[in-house]
Amino acid sequence: MSNERRARVLAELAKQGDLDGSRLCDVAGAVVGVTGAGIMIMSSDSPLGSLCSSNAMSGVIEDLQYALGEGPCVDAYGLDRPVLEPDLANPATPRWLAFSRGALEVGARAVFGFPLRFGAARLGALNLCSDRAGALSDDQYADALTVADVAAEAVLVLQAGAPPGQLATALETDANFQYVVHQAAGMVSVHLSVSIAEALVRLRAHAFATGRPLTDVAADVVALKLRLAHD
Amino acid sequence: MSREGSLVRTFVELADNLVADFDVVEVLTVLAHRCVEVLDVADAGLMLQSPRGDLRVVASSSETMRLLELFELQADEGPCVDCYRSGRAVAVLNLELEAAADRWPRFVPKAVDAGVRSVHAVPMRLRDQTIGALNLFRDDEGPMPDDDVVAAQALADVATIAILQHRAAINAQLLYDQLTEALNSRVVIEQAKGVVAARTGVDMEEAFGRLRRHARAQRARLVDVAHAVVTNAITVDALES
Repeated sequence: MSNERRARVLAELAKQGDLDGSRLCDVAGAVVGVTGAGIMIMSSDSPLGSLCSSNAMSGVIEDLQYALGEGPCVDAYGLDRPVLEPDLANPATPRWLAFSRGALEVGARAVFGFPLRFGAARLGALNLCSDRAGALSDDQYADALTVADVAAEAVLVLQAGAPPGQLATALETDANFQYVVHQAAGMVSVHLSVSIAEALVRLRAHAFATGRPLTDVAADVVALKLRLAHD
Repeated sequence: MSREGSLVRTFVELADNLVADFDVVEVLTVLAHRCVEVLDVADAGLMLQSPRGDLRVVASSSETMRLLELFELQADEGPCVDCYRSGRAVAVLNLELEAAADRWPRFVPKAVDAGVRSVHAVPMRLRDQTIGALNLFRDDEGPMPDDDVVAAQALADVATIAILQHRAAINAQLLYDQLTEALNSRVVIEQAKGVVAARTGVDMEEAFGRLRRHARAQRARLVDVAHAVVTNAITVDALES
């Protein structure tokens, strides 16, 4: 990674005063030059949520990966290398059928995932999407690698500023850690007398079966508009 | 070298030290000396918060400076301490005026004895965290030139970022663990809110209130109460209402 690319990314980040989670995505999209950019935080078990999204398209793409557990960020994180899909509508190898359907619906035509890591820590993945099919240029690819590195560092630096045991407020500004899904899981676990893990599975299954976003289903459960029944 | 050149050189030096094995004390000592070279100040010093949370004198441009700073910490009084506590710059234009002695009755006589006439302290701060202060002592009364004030804050900012990045570098795994632990704690708390809401019919905010009050009454951590609720280790009825 060249110092010049890194300096350019840092200069963009430094441009407007306070650094926080949401600026990271805006800068990522601007530097690489794609329609949308987002950052997902992940753990070995599953995606934990979205740190930021630069636009609605990348927001949906992150929600889909969270709900379905498949997609470019999930793979990039799992395989620990960039995962590129330049033509979502006509992929060379069909994959992520459910994710692709949802992503195409919101206008995404190309999606790319880059792992976010710093030192030994594997934080998640940078998600880039475009409304036009086509591969990233060599420059864009190199920029994306640089942005992923800088973003990983920035996330840790921001977390370093938090009181012990707490998430840094700078990381919450635009984040979506899907709290409503967890609230709904708590309720479903009571309604159906099942464990929280089972409740989450039931919620996901219901969302998949009805073709609705997981967050919408969860919001309806919390608002008492929907009550999942035993099978 | 011109003043501009010296400032740029200092920035580059600091930025270059963003590698895992940089020595915080060494870098800050260089910074302190550089401040004296390029700014209109007689002495410079840096205080940093230690990992345990107490403030320490980390670097000084002279022994006199170091002793004065140590005195401030021991007396728990002075413009540098105030700067760190408030996270805002503190400028004292004339230490010999009564107002200064009223504000810092123990620090001022010692500083004046040592030849200090004015003080400018700038916070080392990133967003809502102040990790220390850059303290500048002058042997003239009156304000520091505007250019110097701006340069001093910029130097403090670069040093702050360098230190936090250094901490992040050596603590990447630890910070990541803290991040995921914090996130997982939030998740369990949200799940517990759902459980309480479903059992009692209250809304999420009230559910949160019940969990919090129970934690306080039991002197337990909120996340532990949440975990107990979610695993049915305690029943919702047992929560204070």
